[in-house]
Amino acid sequence: MLLTSLLACPLLGMLLILVLPKSSVRWIRGVAVVATGAALLVGLKVLGQFQPALASMQFEERASWIPQLNISYYLGIDGLSLPMVLLTVLLGFLACLASFGITQRQKEYFALYLLLEVGMLGTFLALDLFLFYIFWEIVLVPMYFLIGIWGGGRREYSAFKFFVYTLAGSLAMLLGILALYLNTQTFDLVALSGKASQLGLGLQKVLFVAFFLAFAVKVPIFPFHTWLPDAHVDAPTPISVILAGVLLKMGGYGFFRIGYPLFPEGAQWFGSAMAVLGMINIVYGAFVAMAQTDFKRLVAYSSVSHMGFVLLGLASLTSEGLHGAMLQMFNHGIITGGMFLLVGVLYDRAHTRQLDAFGGLGARVPVYAGLLIFFSLATLGLPGLSGFVGEFMAFVGAFGVWRWQTMVSIIGVVIAAAYSLRVIQQVLLGPLNERWASMPDIGPREWITVAPLVVIILVIGIWPLTLLHLQDTSLQQFIAHVTR
Amino acid sequence: MSGVLLDSLAAWWPEVILSAGALVVLLTAVWSKRGQIPLILSWVTLGASAWALTQTGVSSNAPFFGLIVCDGFSLLFRWIALGSIAITLLMIMASQEVRASMRGEYLAILLLMGVGLMLMVEANHLLMAYLSIEFVSLSGYLLVGFPDNARAAEGALKYFLFGALASAVMLFGMSLLYGMTDALLFPELLQKIQPAAAAFPQGVLLAVILLLVGLAFKISMVPFHLWTPDAYEAAPMPVAALLSVAPKAAAFGLLIRFLSTLAPLWQDLYPIFSSLTILTMTLGNLVALAQTNIKRLLAYSTIAQAGYLLIGITAGTPIGVQALVLYLIAYLFMNFGAFACAVAVVEQTGSESLDAFRGLSTRAPVLAFACVLFLLSLAGIPPLFGFMGKFFLFGAALQAGQTLVAVAAVINSAIALYYYVNIMRLMFLQSAGEAQALQPVPALHLALGVCALATLFFGLFPSSVLSWLGPIRLVL
Repeated sequence: MLLTSLLACPLLGMLLILVLPKSSVRWIRGVAVVATGAALLVGLKVLGQFQPALASMQFEERASWIPQLNISYYLGIDGLSLPMVLLTVLLGFLACLASFGITQRQKEYFALYLLLEVGMLGTFLALDLFLFYIFWEIVLVPMYFLIGIWGGGRREYSAFKFFVYTLAGSLAMLLGILALYLNTQTFDLVALSGKASQLGLGLQKVLFVAFFLAFAVKVPIFPFHTWLPDAHVDAPTPISVILAGVLLKMGGYGFFRIGYPLFPEGAQWFGSAMAVLGMINIVYGAFVAMAQTDFKRLVAYSSVSHMGFVLLGLASLTSEGLHGAMLQMFNHGIITGGMFLLVGVLYDRAHTRQLDAFGGLGARVPVYAGLLIFFSLATLGLPGLSGFVGEFMAFVGAFGVWRWQTMVSIIGVVIAAAYSLRVIQQVLLGPLNERWASMPDIGPREWITVAPLVVIILVIGIWPLTLLHLQDTSLQQFIAHVTR
Repeated sequence: MSGVLLDSLAAWWPEVILSAGALVVLLTAVWSKRGQIPLILSWVTLGASAWALTQTGVSSNAPFFGLIVCDGFSLLFRWIALGSIAITLLMIMASQEVRASMRGEYLAILLLMGVGLMLMVEANHLLMAYLSIEFVSLSGYLLVGFPDNARAAEGALKYFLFGALASAVMLFGMSLLYGMTDALLFPELLQKIQPAAAAFPQGVLLAVILLLVGLAFKISMVPFHLWTPDAYEAAPMPVAALLSVAPKAAAFGLLIRFLSTLAPLWQDLYPIFSSLTILTMTLGNLVALAQTNIKRLLAYSTIAQAGYLLIGITAGTPIGVQALVLYLIAYLFMNFGAFACAVAVVEQTGSESLDAFRGLSTRAPVLAFACVLFLLSLAGIPPLFGFMGKFFLFGAALQAGQTLVAVAAVINSAIALYYYVNIMRLMFLQSAGEAQALQPVPALHLALGVCALATLFFGLFPSSVLSWLGPIRLVL
């Protein structure tokens, strides 16, 4: 029941908020914090009881749901989903704290926020393809409203673009799911990966592409990425954190859980394209980030670049590459989540995100400056911080298989250094812009939201085995299954 | 003779009660012109009829000399008919527009239309089919034209002219078919259609196509959809809601029964159906994108929805038919729900423009929430009932090897998202401005509540509905 209670925490919180009166904002916030906090605690309990040496699913729960179609409510966790679940509950809790800055329509906000967390957790926990699809789609609706109501800028346009892009991708997946069911008569993901060899190569190719479209929009993979900068920039800060931190990982996780294990031959056939797409993501994302003048947009494009490493690692199908890809997903969630929080801190004070509007803040807000430098260095992949480990492993894994793609990708790391350092230079260094002479430094609530991320970045940067050993057994089995 | 009639009645009590009740309502209306008595009697009639339906239901023999069949298939459609009438009654109670001119006759016509709807799905004989369609159509024209204004009269006249033409064409087709097969009963037709088609290949096909035109008109299948937006726009909102669901559902029922009778011709009919399916949903969705009047938008949305429903027929498999029925049940709740939301808004603002929905989330939060449920369900977002229906329909198309239809349906679902989300955008993302808070009347709340609960509950737990579909074993 542990996994169901993980889903139940935010769900019950949402229902409770719906019955609370609109005016009791303190209670609403309290319930939201307790609900996400409880989910975090249950997540940590799962981590405590998780046995990394087991290759099979753990904490399995299964109940018949729609017997006519052989659909069941089937949850489980393994080394591939555990890091994603931990990322979700952690960022879910921190972004909930960061949501205290929301000043209007709090009841609707927190209810939708908790529904969003249910959807995200469900996506990572579901082991039934139908259930997975339901949770995958549930994420869309609250996200649409969260961007559309509480966002800034062209919020309506961005929210709608996000909705349509993702739904269009999902519909391709829906056809894929149906075709898969008609050929195998089951939605059980564990059983399906066992039946993978029964599907012919032609069908595997078609189905892989159908699922690829859904995941590619979410990751996002060039050229399906154009919703991302709009949505990230116009979303309120906590939602940007969730978008970059968790939602993009749903795409990557989809490849790990469905795309590769279910259609191994299709995935290998697609391997070279995947490597090239990863390369394009890394280099193109970095160059476009370099050209941005809006701080948030810059971070958004850096996400495109960083998610490219996941693709490159996946395409390699080597132990190092896949470890790197998984690690990169987790790290990117932590680092970029932190970056968006810091952008939000600055925006709350200055009400602008134009990089050239700042300058010399280093002396004015030293604590904030320290944090910004720390996260920028993590973004550019400084050894000793977590970002480096994932990128390095992805490169090591990919270099032996996709040589020139990897070599081109390395340009992306150089550009990442350039734009990260430019952020530091434009915001913190130089003469102080007199407009910000009285800017207050980072406050205690903001500290609490960022501090755990700092610790995690350091721990994984110095001792990556903390995370690697969780996923190792599952990944070895994954490789053996896909490359057999 | 009398024995046959008594036996037949055993399975037909719901219709008998409904007809008798309607006549009583008509009589009481003579004395109680605007009173509550006809309304109460209508509810009593509906309740008694529903109770009778639970008691009698399926009968194995063919009642009334085989003119009708009361099998599991028609049972589901009879429930859909009764449900539509009940929800319409609730909406009528909430609608000032109708109440102002409402008399007992109105309720009587509504109840009698229920009888017609039930007969349509039971028809097992060409004449019975024609009579029941005419019965439903005539009550429809009356319901549209009842309000005492020029607009309603114009709408009713348009609807009538189109409808009469379609009926005439259909009757011509029936007469041709009878001439070539010498059969009126569906089972006989099934046996004789093959030899007749061998003798007059073009003639039989022509007759069947002419006959299908009448039904295509009823389900607003492109290119016979032109009446739909005009009639809906002119009709009182609750009647538009009724027309968008009940006659359509019954026509689908009859269409399926009829096509299963014509099974030997399916190879020739299939290309027509598959292309018109794609055309219907695409045209409905594309035109809906441009609408600014809520009634016209919903009208084009129902055309597109009819396109999705047609997938079940195009698939031509038992699964396809089951999927169609499942989607019809979902459509009953979500479409009535969407119309009920529109009734609430139009009633109180007096405006049919989409702008009347602006800021609804602050003006009427519960209504706005329910409306989002219906719109998302119509758009096919899980875990709502509409998604389950689409899931089965798309699956049926793929199973039948019609990838093209399935892909077209998927692309259409993405297009349709635009106008459904647009209403959500107006309700939640835009501020209310000067507009006032809304306070829907209790009857409407009940209608909304029933539809919303069903949309959500059957979306989350569809297995109960799926088990009702088991008895449907019609093959095209």
